[in-house]
Amino acid sequence: MTQLNIPVESMALPNGLRVVISPDRTAPVATVGVYYNIGFRIEPRGRSGFAHLFEHMMFQGSANAGKMMHIKLVNSSGGVLNGSTHYDVTNYYESVPSNALERVLWLEADRMRALKVDDENLRNQRDVVKEEVRVNVLNQPYGGFPWLDLPPVAYRNWSNAHNFYGDFDDLDAANLDDVQKFFKTYYAPSNAVLLILGDVDTDEAIGLAERHFASIPSGPQPTPADIDEPPQIDERRGVVEEKFGTLPGIAIGYQAPRRLTPEWYAAAMLDHAFHGGRSGRVYRRLVLEQQIAVDAEGGIHYPVGDLFDYNGPTLMVTRLLHKPEYSADQTIAAYDQILDEMKEKGIAADELEPIKVKFRSNYFSNLEGGHGPSIPRYGLMHLLACFTLFDNEPSLVNTILDGFMQVTPSEVQSVAQKLLTRHNRSIVIRQPAKKGAA
Amino acid sequence: MASAPRSDTPSAVPPLAPARPVIWPPRVHRTLSNGLEVVLVESHGIPKFTGELFFRSGNAVVAAQAPGLADMTATVARTGTQRRTSRQIEEDLRRMGADLSSGAGADNSVISFAGLVDFSNELLGLVSELAQRAIFPEDEFERERRQLVEGLRIERTTPGFLASERLRRVLFGAHPYGTISPTEEQVTHYRVEQLKDFYQRYYRPGNALLVMVGDFAPEKMLAEIETAFGAWTGGPAEGAPDPALPELQSRRVYLVHLPGSVQTQLSIGNRAITRKDPDWLRLTLANSIYGGAFNSRLVMNIREEKGYTYSPRSGAHPMRQHGYFSIGAAVRNDVVAAALKEIFYEIDRMRSTPVGEDELDDARSYLTGVFSLGLATQDGLAGQLATATLEKLPDDYLETYRERVLKLTSADVLDAARKYFDSEHAQIVIVGDRAQIEAQAAQFGAPEVYDAQGSRIQ
Repeated sequence: MTQLNIPVESMALPNGLRVVISPDRTAPVATVGVYYNIGFRIEPRGRSGFAHLFEHMMFQGSANAGKMMHIKLVNSSGGVLNGSTHYDVTNYYESVPSNALERVLWLEADRMRALKVDDENLRNQRDVVKEEVRVNVLNQPYGGFPWLDLPPVAYRNWSNAHNFYGDFDDLDAANLDDVQKFFKTYYAPSNAVLLILGDVDTDEAIGLAERHFASIPSGPQPTPADIDEPPQIDERRGVVEEKFGTLPGIAIGYQAPRRLTPEWYAAAMLDHAFHGGRSGRVYRRLVLEQQIAVDAEGGIHYPVGDLFDYNGPTLMVTRLLHKPEYSADQTIAAYDQILDEMKEKGIAADELEPIKVKFRSNYFSNLEGGHGPSIPRYGLMHLLACFTLFDNEPSLVNTILDGFMQVTPSEVQSVAQKLLTRHNRSIVIRQPAKKGAA
Repeated sequence: MASAPRSDTPSAVPPLAPARPVIWPPRVHRTLSNGLEVVLVESHGIPKFTGELFFRSGNAVVAAQAPGLADMTATVARTGTQRRTSRQIEEDLRRMGADLSSGAGADNSVISFAGLVDFSNELLGLVSELAQRAIFPEDEFERERRQLVEGLRIERTTPGFLASERLRRVLFGAHPYGTISPTEEQVTHYRVEQLKDFYQRYYRPGNALLVMVGDFAPEKMLAEIETAFGAWTGGPAEGAPDPALPELQSRRVYLVHLPGSVQTQLSIGNRAITRKDPDWLRLTLANSIYGGAFNSRLVMNIREEKGYTYSPRSGAHPMRQHGYFSIGAAVRNDVVAAALKEIFYEIDRMRSTPVGEDELDDARSYLTGVFSLGLATQDGLAGQLATATLEKLPDDYLETYRERVLKLTSADVLDAARKYFDSEHAQIVIVGDRAQIEAQAAQFGAPEVYDAQGSRIQ
């Protein structure tokens, strides 16, 4: 097995900002990310969708770079940029020809230092976000299925259960005070990590990080939010109307183990046995063999996250679209049989070993790209950020695979028996609306 | 610029450092004795490789039989060979740590694959088997056909699909490019013999291109390719027909009624050019300034100033025989007319006023920079190589791309906008709930109205 040896240097500035550097001078390009330890899970009550709306505001202007300057300066340097809001982190990132590295760091430092936005900016981005929600959720077949459907059924703590994209009333209620308060609370240097990857020397990168970020005043560390879930004791169910699509959908989610626990490593292999593409048991059985479903996908923290980028309760999810001639109960019964077989008979080594090979292969691809052809090393950046913010150990990126490679067949069977119980799961059915005469 | 004094205040934008040269990895470009064209490039970032086996024939070449036949052929080709069942194929892929997909567009069919270099020999063996010895099992065909029908029903509820379908029909009419997907009825009439026939005619080395990028030594990989594909035979295949295109007389409006829509999908377009046209880079640059980048005029206007939409974009789409230019945005129902007005305002501005030097500089830097970013991953490199080789562009097309972009002028942009942002003949497709948007649509011309099944209702 190839032992990973990705260069990783990490340090912290006096203001608490952590810096992680991974040089690779093969190509003259660099990727920079700033990750803040705040995601949509812990946005304020009455302000659903705010963490994401706020992410948009970070592109609206900072102390020395007004509206559009972030976008203009990066694009005109030959680079691309974006941001995204996740359960427990929000990121901002740029990939650029490496001669623009300092410019990008200056931009990120400027908006970590001070956000400079007005009511007009907020109104504008509120409108933009509403169209984003419409184009991704409200005006699409299976929009938000199941990432917005499962949490309100599966969870009892508002932080885990609310509408992460935001109710429009809550988006409308958000004001500039909220924006500045959120910035002050969660965007302090000590609540963030800066990542510099690609065509740069470690010393040069450290120098640049110090020059641009060290003078940003430190702020108080936010108090950790309560995201605990009471233990689940019954199966939970919900039904959501599917307004456009023609097939019924079913999403099933099992409470997944905490990250980095022995059960988590085993659950990752279990997940792959079920959801590893066309050779996964769920797709093979339900789509290819029994032909009850026409599509089957899933994963731990699926579909808006992965095995590594959460830091609290999450689910192992299966998403099915099934033929209308089968009822939801029939479909679930066929699915249950797959689970029961795993619990009763376990997994043979000649199924588990190939899964490990494929898992490792996927991990490598993710390190190199993971986010389309224009953002080299996005996947590496994302892992480094999560391992830093959640575990304070970026070098896990080189060693984490070992834990998966050591999982045994009996550990997979045990975790299946423990996890895959009725009282540990939630089910959401997407029921196509009855169509009137067209 | 490199030695510009540094300011101690954080208010000054740091200048760009001198750019490091983009160095092209050496590439091997060979044609095997059986006619298979091979392009190989080393990329050692991860112990993997990625590959694409193209056939220069897609749905267009058999459009007279039915739309989508090439895509169905590619889909079923992975479900069984003389030596392996569907299940064995999938399990072998997993054992090799490999991904594989197959499909076809209008011009090409492709088997795409990626895997660990330790298994390159075996994976090439499997790909070669799929390309030469697929058996098209009847039961696999029937299952894929049902899945396709269900997928088509869902696509008919998807605004983006409905907009593309109508725009392509309007721009290309009865030409194969005018149809982006089959009807349910056409799929029901597919026969497995048609798939086998397509496979016989077009899956042959003389019609194929193999692009591979990864952590390998090219000469050694070439030997593996020779072993896997050397005995395969079959010369070139005939090209696709190119029937006459409809005449676009004037600006027209097409409304696709999707009941219950809470947003309206706009798609505006006109015919343009292929990548072989001498104007291609001019059009690319003009598009980048108009609506092809985050920092473009269209995004600034209807997103960042007016908040009409989340995702406005324009693009130049080259195909083998023709090309088209299109502008897309999903907008709030009550600003359909206002958004169209701004879209045309920005088009007319591109056509009437030369772009200033700063904006031109920014756009040239953007294109050359993004091009360099695209070379930094195995997938990105493979994509660039495929683009250049599939359409038989000049050998130095990629190497000279950046310098050719940097030479473009404001006059080039104006010229391209005037030729290819054809405001007068723009075809306007609007997908949404008719009652909410028809009056706004009518401000741009009397709409032809269609239902989501594609039938004209007015």
